[in-house]
Amino acid sequence: MTDPRIDDFEDMFENAPCAYITLLPNGRIERVNKTLLGWIGHTAEHMVGKRFSDFLNMAGRIYFETHIAPLLRMQGFYDEFAIDMVTAAGGPLQMIANAREGRDAAGGALFTRLALIKATDRRRYEHELLQARDVAKTNLESERETSELREQFIAVLGHDLRNPLASISAGARILGRDAKSDKEHQVIAMLETTVLRMAGLIDNVLDFARGRLGGGITLDRNSRRPLEPVLHQVIDELRLSSPGRRIEAEYAIDVPVDCDRSRIGQLVSNLVGNALSHGASNEPVRVRAATEDGLFRLSVANSGEPIPEAAMGRLFEPFFRGEVRASRQGLGLGLHIAAQIAKAHDGTLDVSSTSEETRFTFSMPLR
Amino acid sequence: MGAIERNNVHVRGTGGQSMVFAHGFGCDQNMWRFVEPAFVSEFKTVCFDHVGAGGSDLKAYDKEKYSSLAGYADDVVEIGRELGLADAVFVGHSVSSMIGALAAQKAPGMFGKLVMIGPSPRYVDDGDYFGGFTEGQIGELLQFLDSNHMGWSVQMAPAIMGNPDRPELGQELTNSFCRTDPDIAKAFARVTFMSDNRADLAKLDVPTLILQCSDDIIASRPVGEFVNRTIRNSEIVFLKATGHCPNLSAPDEVVAAMRTFV
Repeated sequence: MTDPRIDDFEDMFENAPCAYITLLPNGRIERVNKTLLGWIGHTAEHMVGKRFSDFLNMAGRIYFETHIAPLLRMQGFYDEFAIDMVTAAGGPLQMIANAREGRDAAGGALFTRLALIKATDRRRYEHELLQARDVAKTNLESERETSELREQFIAVLGHDLRNPLASISAGARILGRDAKSDKEHQVIAMLETTVLRMAGLIDNVLDFARGRLGGGITLDRNSRRPLEPVLHQVIDELRLSSPGRRIEAEYAIDVPVDCDRSRIGQLVSNLVGNALSHGASNEPVRVRAATEDGLFRLSVANSGEPIPEAAMGRLFEPFFRGEVRASRQGLGLGLHIAAQIAKAHDGTLDVSSTSEETRFTFSMPLR
Repeated sequence: MGAIERNNVHVRGTGGQSMVFAHGFGCDQNMWRFVEPAFVSEFKTVCFDHVGAGGSDLKAYDKEKYSSLAGYADDVVEIGRELGLADAVFVGHSVSSMIGALAAQKAPGMFGKLVMIGPSPRYVDDGDYFGGFTEGQIGELLQFLDSNHMGWSVQMAPAIMGNPDRPELGQELTNSFCRTDPDIAKAFARVTFMSDNRADLAKLDVPTLILQCSDDIIASRPVGEFVNRTIRNSEIVFLKATGHCPNLSAPDEVVAAMRTFV
């Protein structure tokens, strides 16, 4: 025997799991169901004939008049809007509602039906989301400002460091012309080496700052001029600055390489500098540059202790510094900048490290 | 980009005199759909969206410029200049009534008559002046706007407007009209409800028709009467229509009152 209420439309309306309100075109309440009366705490007699707005909070009233009422007239429905009613006790009754307008044949409004669902929890959740968004926005902005300032500072600093360095370099050259004793020559050679190393460090710092400031590494590609002399020069300079160390170089560049030659020079300088710092001092650093298999490949290898497993994943991160004696300690930007240069050439920089050999390989497509 | 594109201006009709329709807070030029057609045979009608609403160029939104109604009035003047308007009728709903009053003073001769539907020069009570709202209630509104999602997919609106012959496209969306960028809508609400244009109305000498609804909680009768007293060359018509948007709920009554005036 089924309960008669199952098919009772009156019961379905009055005790529906949502509130129902019917409005006349003048915005006054024509009918409400029992579910709403239970939620709001008023009697039907109290509500019928009054304006729907009378039972909304002020924000709800303004929103109803400026958004909901006009949209209902224009499109005949308005779905999923938030609306806050006020209970008999004066508390908020937060709801989500859909509305439909009943129209005559000419399109005129006859009535409006609203179905409302309580949304206290949902509203609290939305409120929390909004707050979280505001906090995140504020934090992001202050982070951005701080990092911008920091990077501008680095860029200015790098620039200002170059000027005194140029003076030292010029001074050393002038002294070198008149140097007589071996000791004088040695000191001047040391000065020049230090200037070279310092200039390399500053280049890396500037590139790093520029990359972070949004400019990225810019390339001046040129395939008409040969790359090999640039590599020669860089490696010769490194030999001069590391007396007592062997750097073996092998070239097999048969076709033009469309690259930024000074950037590739910087990459080689960074990789060889790295190999000299970390490799075994009694073994040579081996450089090989070749065009093969449609690629330009440049590898730099050294012997000595392999790179610890834990360090492998972070080698190319900025400011990553391995264990090395203090005099050779750099900023930890060399490999990072080298990787950026590789990336700018649509190439890759890979590393392999075993007890026999540690090898960095740069590859870029020949076009 | 000129004001015509920026403000999504639509011009219809061939009449010698122009009639400019400006929508209020919460909607776009769609709200004139039952009123504008009544004038298209006698007037050149101009409908547009304020920047941030409807099909306007959202990229043109400039916080500074639109932090007061004067910025919106400048847009109206630019539109008027590009169209070469002179002695036109300006019809403003709600906050656009004040935008029209400002524009009429910025560009003398551009507008020969003003129609204000549900105007209020100041919504917040101030001493003896009754605006209908406290400052706290306006703050409540701004917070509330955060929890209403209307317009979150604002970029969909032009697609629908571009396909008037395929209304079924509109049915797929929850609410297809009057989409606004939520952040801009909030800023516009602040500008609208915190504005005070009482002094500007006193300086206005363009013939003005005020249409006052019954039972309008946004711009109530005492506010309409204040506007009528303050603008020296104004008349007020009390409509039977209820609510704040008679141009949608009682267009015939609005059109009839406007015809008598223009």
